Amino acid sequence: MAEGDARADRYSLADTLPVDIDDLDAGMNVLVSGPPMSGKRQLVFDLLAPEGVPVDPLVVMTTDDPASRIRAQFEDRDVRFDPSTFRVVDATGAPGDSEPSIHRISSPADLTGMGVAFTQAVDQMGTPDRLRLGFVSISTLLQYVDAERAFSFLHVLSRRTSAAGYLGVYSIDPTTHEDRFVNVVTSIFDAAIELREENGDRELRVRGLSDVPPQWTAFPY
Amino acid sequence: MTASEGGTVLIVDDDREVVRTYRRYLEDAYAIREAYDGEEALDLLDDDVDVVLLDRLMPGVSGGEVLDRIRDQGYDVRVAMVTAVDPDFDIVDMGFDDYITKPTTREELRQTIEGLITLNQHATDVREYHSLLVKAAALHEGKSTYELDDNAAYAELESRISDLESTLESEADRLTDDSRFVATLRAIDTSKSGGETDG
Repeated sequence: MAEGDARADRYSLADTLPVDIDDLDAGMNVLVSGPPMSGKRQLVFDLLAPEGVPVDPLVVMTTDDPASRIRAQFEDRDVRFDPSTFRVVDATGAPGDSEPSIHRISSPADLTGMGVAFTQAVDQMGTPDRLRLGFVSISTLLQYVDAERAFSFLHVLSRRTSAAGYLGVYSIDPTTHEDRFVNVVTSIFDAAIELREENGDRELRVRGLSDVPPQWTAFPY
Repeated sequence: MTASEGGTVLIVDDDREVVRTYRRYLEDAYAIREAYDGEEALDLLDDDVDVVLLDRLMPGVSGGEVLDRIRDQGYDVRVAMVTAVDPDFDIVDMGFDDYITKPTTREELRQTIEGLITLNQHATDVREYHSLLVKAAALHEGKSTYELDDNAAYAELESRISDLESTLESEADRLTDDSRFVATLRAIDTSKSGGETDG
């Protein structure tokens, strides 16, 4: 690592966000929160593979979109589907051929299975120093396990990636849960990126980062 | 502290000499149960048992079969496999939480059991942390910040939350150990859900 290069272990976001955040610290966990059709999945994927930034090793855990669709969306971003750098933990239960890049779990209710798949994905990628983990979505996970288990799982997974210096990006649709659950689960994360629609225009704000004011900012599609 | 407060360990091995040795290593710190075959192990298992030391190769019901039945029956218990050779398979994938290679030392045996008991505690702590956060959120909904600042019960709750938070964060580094990470998730999976939920 170059001497004096204090930013080398940070995770660049390039121009993904319309606010003044160029990168995030290693070990951070970020929640992307927004109603249906607000483009939060797109935003999660943009944060995992920002345009114009060398791609970090990636693991995407999915409980709702099958691996084939995840793959297509990353290929649209020119990210190669290569088992040495990009793996999907597919807990949707969707059938599919055996592929080294895809770790299939029968159901999001199998929290242990998702954890085993994550460790295998990381091991088989050579335990990289840097990695971005995406998790889509907490809302679907909640359809399979109770709030206490979901919270515990997310806490343990996020602390594990944090301890390894990885970046975690998770999505939730706050409109499908009680405010109380959303508030409690948000406390797991270092920062929340919220999306909303106002008079047909999309807006975004970031909460939890001391150097960024939590103001709604236009974020056109 | 009495031995049972340290936890309850079920030792399963068809070699009585081995069982006796392990008991000697452990009985000052843990309550001990002994079984000499797989059937007996399943008979002696209940919710009070925290850790099972399970010999892999036994006549009759093998260690692997006992493990499968423990998991099928949903016991919230951590299982360490005891084996004569280094396992050439992925113990994480098989459903064991840890393993010990024979012959083992007192030090190694106690460390393994202590590790399993602390990760069980970690899973319990995360659940309690959740339930306290839910309580705090509920109080917030009903009262103004001004009222809460004046509320002793709320202050007590906040202080328990922050204590648990420090404990959980201080243990986070240990989660980079794959078998510990997976065993912690399994402890969450197998826990009996008794806590409050927000539902």
